[in-house]
Amino acid sequence: MKQNNMLAMILAGGRGSRLHDLTNKVAKPAVSYGGKYRIVDFPLSNCANSGIDVVGVLTQYESILLNSYVAAGRRWGLDAKDSGVYVLPPREKADANLDVYRGTADAISQNIDFIDTYSPEYILILSGDHIYKMNYAKMLAEHKTHNADATIAVIGVPMNEASRFGIMNTDEEGRIVEFEEKPEHPKSNLASMGIYIFNWKLLRKMLIADMKDPDSNHDFGKDIIPQLLNDGKTLYAYKFKGYWKDVGTIDSLWEANMDLLDKNNELDLNDPTWKIYTEDVTTLPHYIGPDAKINRAFITQGCIIEGEVKNSVLFTGAEVGPGAKIIDSVLMPGVKVEAGAVVQRALVADGIKIGKDAVVGSADSEHIELVAKRVKGVE
Amino acid sequence: MCDALGIVNFSGTNIRVRGMEDYRPIGAFSFLGRYRVIDFPISNMSNSGIDRIQVYIRRKPRSLTEHLGTGRHYNINSKRGKLHILFAEGKDENDIYNTDISAFLENMECIERAHNPYVVIAPSYMVYSANFDTLLQNHIDSGADITLLYHSVDNAKEAFLNCTTLNLNRQKGVLSLEPNRGNAKDRKIFMDTYIMKKDLFIELVKKAKSLSSMYTLADVVNAACNELDVRGISHRGFFASITDLESFYNANISLIDFKTATSLFDNENWPVYTRTNDSCPTQYFETADVKSSVVSNGCLIEGTIENSVIGRGCVIKKGAVVKNSVILPEAIIGENVTVDCQVVDKHAKIIHAKEIIGDPKRPGYIRREDTL
Repeated sequence: MKQNNMLAMILAGGRGSRLHDLTNKVAKPAVSYGGKYRIVDFPLSNCANSGIDVVGVLTQYESILLNSYVAAGRRWGLDAKDSGVYVLPPREKADANLDVYRGTADAISQNIDFIDTYSPEYILILSGDHIYKMNYAKMLAEHKTHNADATIAVIGVPMNEASRFGIMNTDEEGRIVEFEEKPEHPKSNLASMGIYIFNWKLLRKMLIADMKDPDSNHDFGKDIIPQLLNDGKTLYAYKFKGYWKDVGTIDSLWEANMDLLDKNNELDLNDPTWKIYTEDVTTLPHYIGPDAKINRAFITQGCIIEGEVKNSVLFTGAEVGPGAKIIDSVLMPGVKVEAGAVVQRALVADGIKIGKDAVVGSADSEHIELVAKRVKGVE
Repeated sequence: MCDALGIVNFSGTNIRVRGMEDYRPIGAFSFLGRYRVIDFPISNMSNSGIDRIQVYIRRKPRSLTEHLGTGRHYNINSKRGKLHILFAEGKDENDIYNTDISAFLENMECIERAHNPYVVIAPSYMVYSANFDTLLQNHIDSGADITLLYHSVDNAKEAFLNCTTLNLNRQKGVLSLEPNRGNAKDRKIFMDTYIMKKDLFIELVKKAKSLSSMYTLADVVNAACNELDVRGISHRGFFASITDLESFYNANISLIDFKTATSLFDNENWPVYTRTNDSCPTQYFETADVKSSVVSNGCLIEGTIENSVIGRGCVIKKGAVVKNSVILPEAIIGENVTVDCQVVDKHAKIIHAKEIIGDPKRPGYIRREDTL
C-alpha cells in the first residue's frame, strides 16, 4: 500500500459454467493451467511483481479450495508486514443482511468497509480468470499522468471478433468517448480487459448510489462505466500489448495451453524478470523412460513418461504408461494414462485414470473432448 | 514426536570433491536436478518430527545459507521449530584444526540451550532416507550409549574410499571405526550418523579437545568404543556418500532408473523438501529426442538427451547430444555439441567445443561459469 497507494481487488466468484465438469467442484480462477499453475496465479503474481501488496480476492462459487489456495499469500511473496492476500466471500454484517454478490460492482460495494481500512487513493479491479502478464504500475502511472477518474485496460482484437467484446471508442489521446457492450457494428477494436483503475473516493460514492438503485445490474461494464461516461468523467484507455486470454470454454482452455508449445510464445513463462508464482509442490523432477518419445511438449515436475507425448501439455504428476500415446492433448494434475492407451485432442481433468489400451478423443473432432470421468481399460 | 536435537554435520578435511567443492560445500551440491544434497538429511529430520535443527558449515557458506534461508520450505514448525545455521568461525577452511569438534565447541552454548534430551547427528554429504524417530526408539529400547548407522556394501574396494567403516562384533557392538583402505569388497560403511543422549554428546566433544586438537567426532567415538556401549544399526534402501566426483556422478546416474529412485523417494510418506525456484515447466521442441533421463523445470530442449540428469533452467540446443551426463542448473549446451560422461557445473556454456567425451569410471568436469 505504501508503495503506490493502490489496493487490488480480484473478482474470483464466477463459476465459468462453459467449462462444464472442470468447474463442478472449483471456481474458474482455481482451474489449472500451463502445467503447474492455476489461473488466479496470473493476477496475483502480476500484483506481486507490480509492487501491489494488499490484494482482496472476492470469492463466491465453490470457494473452499480457492479460499485456502489464495489465503497462502506467501506463495506470491505477499506476506510481508502491511501486506497480504485477503479472502473475501459474502458475509453477514451488523447493518445489512447476508447477501450473495449480485454483480461485479456489488462484490466491491459489499467490501467498502474492508477497503476503507486501508483508505487507498486508487483501487485496481481485476478479473481472476484471465491469463496474461501485465505491469499494473505502468497503468497507474498513465492514470496519474492523465489525471483520470478511471482508466480501463484495453487490447486490440481482430475487427471481425470485436462484436463479442465490450468495445471502447476513444479519441486521439486515448480518452474514452463511448462504451459499447458487444456492438453489432463496432467502431473500434479496443476491447475492455475487465481491468480498471478508479480513484477510490469517486468509485466509493458511485457504489453507494448503485447499491440503492433497484434497476441496476450492479455490474462494472453495464452500470458503473456507462454512468461515469454519462456524468462526463475523465476515462482513459490503457492500451495493452501482449498475450491475454479469457478461457471461457474447454476449446479455449485447451488452446491457451497449446499456445505454450510455440517457440518464443508471447506469454513467455520463462521470463526471469516476471515470474508467475504458484503453489510449491513436493515432487521429483520429471522422469523419462527408456522407450519414451517426446516432441513439442510442455512438461512439469512429478510427471513420469514411458510412452509417447506429442503436441501436449502435461501437468504436475501426470503419468504416461509404456506404449501410450498423448497427442494434441492436455493432461491435468495427477492424470494417469495406462499402457497402450491413446489420448488425442482431449483435455483430461484432474486425477482421471485412463485404462489400458483405451482410446479417448479423435484426430478430426470439431471440439476438444473433455474427459472428466474414469475411462475403463480394454480387458 | 522425536525428542532430539538434529545436527547436520560437515565433511572432514580428508574429503575433497574434485572441481565442484572449489565453489561450495558438498551439502550445497545440486542433486538430481532440483535438489541439493543437504535437502536429504534435513528432510529426514523434518519427516521424523525433529524441528530443532542445527546446520554446521565449515567453509564457503554463501550458497548453503542462501538455499537454507529460514528453513521454512523444510516444513518445520515456524514458531516452535528452528533451523539454525552455525559456522566454524575464525579458522582457515582447510586448517587441520578446523574440525567438527571445534565447531561444536565454539557453539556449545547453542547445543546446551536446546531442551531436547537426545541428539541425532547426520552428515550433509550423504544421500539416504531414514526415519530417525524409529531409530531413536530403537536406540532407547536397546539401552546402548551410542547408536551408529551403517550400510553394508560389496564394492568397498573401488568405492567409498574416503569413508569410515565399522568393525562390529556379532552382537552388532562396534569394536572400532576404521578408514576404508579399499582392501576388502564387503564392508560396513559408517553413514556418519549418530544417535545418543545430548549430555553424552557434550561430554564427548569436551573430552575430544583434551585428547587431541585434531580429533573429529568419529575419532572420539572410536576412542570411546571400549568404555561405552556403541552399537551399529544397519540401513536398507538407497545410500550414496558424496565424497568424490565419481560418487556424485554415480549417485545421480543411478537414480535415473525409476526403480532405484523409489528406494530413495516415497513422495506420499517421506517427501524430500527443497527450495522452489518458481521455474515454469520444461519446454520440448520439435527436434527434441529424450530417453532415460531426469529433467527439471525451466529447461528449453531441442537436442538429444540420453541417460542424463538435467538441472533446472538448462538449454539444450538443436543438434546437441547429452549422454551419460549430469548437467547442473542453468548450463547451456550449444548447437551440435556432444557431451558424454561429464559433470557440467552451474552456468557453464559449451558452445565452441564440439565434443567433450569422458570415461564413466572417471567422468569429466566442466567448471562453473566456464565458456568452452
